Amino acid sequence: MTARGERAPWLTLKMREAMEAWLFLSPTLVGFLIFFVGPLFAVVWYSLTEWNLLSQQTTFVGLDNYDDALLRNPDFWQVVRNSIVFAIGLVPLNMALALGLALALSRRFPGVIFFRTVFFAPVVTSAVAWAIVWKFLLQGEAGFVNQMLAGIGISGPNWLREPDWAMVAVIVTRVIKMVGLNMILYIAALQAIPRDYEAAARLEGASNWQIFRMIIWPLLGPTTLVIMVITTIGSFKVFDHIYLMTGGGPENGTLVLAFYIYQQGFQFFDVGYASALAMIMFVIVMALTIVQLALRRRDT
Amino acid sequence: MSSLTLRNLQKRFGRVEVIRGVDLDVADGEFVVFVGPSGCGKSTLLRMISGLEDVTDGELRIGDRVVNEVQPAKRGVAMVFQSYALYPHLNVRDNMGFGLKVRKVPGPERERRVAEAAALLKLDALLERFPRELSGGQRQRVAIGRAIVGHPDVFLFDEPLSNLDAELRVHMRSEIAALHKRLGNTMIYVTHDQVEAMTLADKIVVLRDGLVEQVGSPRELYERPDNIFVAQFIGSPKMNILPAASAAGFGAQPAGTASVGIRPEHLSIVAPDRGQLSGKVVITEYTGASSLLHVALDSGETCLVVIDGDSPEADARVGLVAASKDLHHFGADGRAQRNLHG
Repeated sequence: MTARGERAPWLTLKMREAMEAWLFLSPTLVGFLIFFVGPLFAVVWYSLTEWNLLSQQTTFVGLDNYDDALLRNPDFWQVVRNSIVFAIGLVPLNMALALGLALALSRRFPGVIFFRTVFFAPVVTSAVAWAIVWKFLLQGEAGFVNQMLAGIGISGPNWLREPDWAMVAVIVTRVIKMVGLNMILYIAALQAIPRDYEAAARLEGASNWQIFRMIIWPLLGPTTLVIMVITTIGSFKVFDHIYLMTGGGPENGTLVLAFYIYQQGFQFFDVGYASALAMIMFVIVMALTIVQLALRRRDT
Repeated sequence: MSSLTLRNLQKRFGRVEVIRGVDLDVADGEFVVFVGPSGCGKSTLLRMISGLEDVTDGELRIGDRVVNEVQPAKRGVAMVFQSYALYPHLNVRDNMGFGLKVRKVPGPERERRVAEAAALLKLDALLERFPRELSGGQRQRVAIGRAIVGHPDVFLFDEPLSNLDAELRVHMRSEIAALHKRLGNTMIYVTHDQVEAMTLADKIVVLRDGLVEQVGSPRELYERPDNIFVAQFIGSPKMNILPAASAAGFGAQPAGTASVGIRPEHLSIVAPDRGQLSGKVVITEYTGASSLLHVALDSGETCLVVIDGDSPEADARVGLVAASKDLHHFGADGRAQRNLHG
């Protein structure tokens, strides 16, 4: 009699395991291919065409759309400048505030969960509600912020109507909304640093500042890099906040890249040009990320 | 170098009393080991001495200075942590020199002291390596080196060997003993391993539930334990404790004896009819140099016996004898009765 177990299986154990792995991966993989890789290639193709959404006519134009953006359209460079200003304003402010909050809220003390919740809540608050509330608060003379400033003798600007102040206002309100996310990442990183390091340093005579500068900050390096990359990318992709708070105005003062792409594609129906802009944004973000990674590698 | 004095030292975390009034004198240059089961407060006591935990009540002196309110760095102590606490982003040289750097010791002096400690601990070749590139034993030596370069009066060790494998532990134990001999500093060492305590200590402090159960030399604790807890904690395998009635065969007992203790290595196996007590071998554990027998006594208790050479088979009936000088008598409160041999 031949026992069933003795017969050679159709597939080896390794092949069966590989098949199971692909089977489990397939739902995500299919979604990734259809909704991410597909559109990515589509955008590359569209960026080489002139495609008017209304007329539904598509003409291959080579690199004309890129020429338009980079060489012929002065608006584009204004938009890039705005995006850079927005990122330079937002990223350091967000990170510094997140780290400060994390340092304060990574220890245990009564009410710490409450404070963490308070600072994290805006992250999960609807962008629409957030923008509407801040638009009210930042109104000219009647706005709450200016009334508070008037209380201490300062005459506040019309925050969302003056180009320079509008940029400040969108940066600060965006930072307040999103800082909780980075705070949580920093808290997790701080809590992962063994307490013995601090104890050892304290025993050796290090001050709080020395402990932070010589122990904590270097150990937060990988987290800082991740936060810097995702916050920079996020700042270049910001759309809803600008759309709701200023609509890119006043005088295009807050017109940033993602919103400009939306305008070109869905308000002016120039999908080819919008796609070329999207590709340029992709390259900018990719380049910034590579630079940040390289800087980090050099430092370690 | 410094002596150490603890007077009625107490520590509370909220309502939980962790250290409940500890009195202790540590002489200059002495090697003292705090030993006890998990949660007995030995590490807390060490951290109180270091200043990493504050003192709730009582007095802590290092040398002739009361240091209750003195910052950790100004107490003249250095600590070796169980986790080593080596900074992962600094190499061995910078780890060892960290304390000197934050204290603004000039570069050349810092280099000299690091090199001196590295030579002492045979770390010269490893100075440029990062902690992740070191073995457990090497990390441990770096941690000790970091403590040495600060020239402290008192060294504190918090279970420094518990992350090492058995062989390395024995090796590092002898290195620490040799280091103490060479430096001559006061050292306080926390462990839950009584073998480590016995082999290293000039003086052992046995702790339980935040109180000192007994202080003495390893020999004193082994030969004259104050109570059943210490009797069973010190020595391996642990001391047999038999009810007085079951141990009557061993001979006269002081008045008030409730239980009798006898170490497994102090019992001998004889023929069943010639034993002071008799029973049946239940299990035999062969350990090479000796065997550990589990003997079910006729009175119902199980007794451990260590014997050299051939051991009887399981189920064999055996007699047990002990010299009266090796018997320990305890009262109903668990404290030693001293009036026969002690």
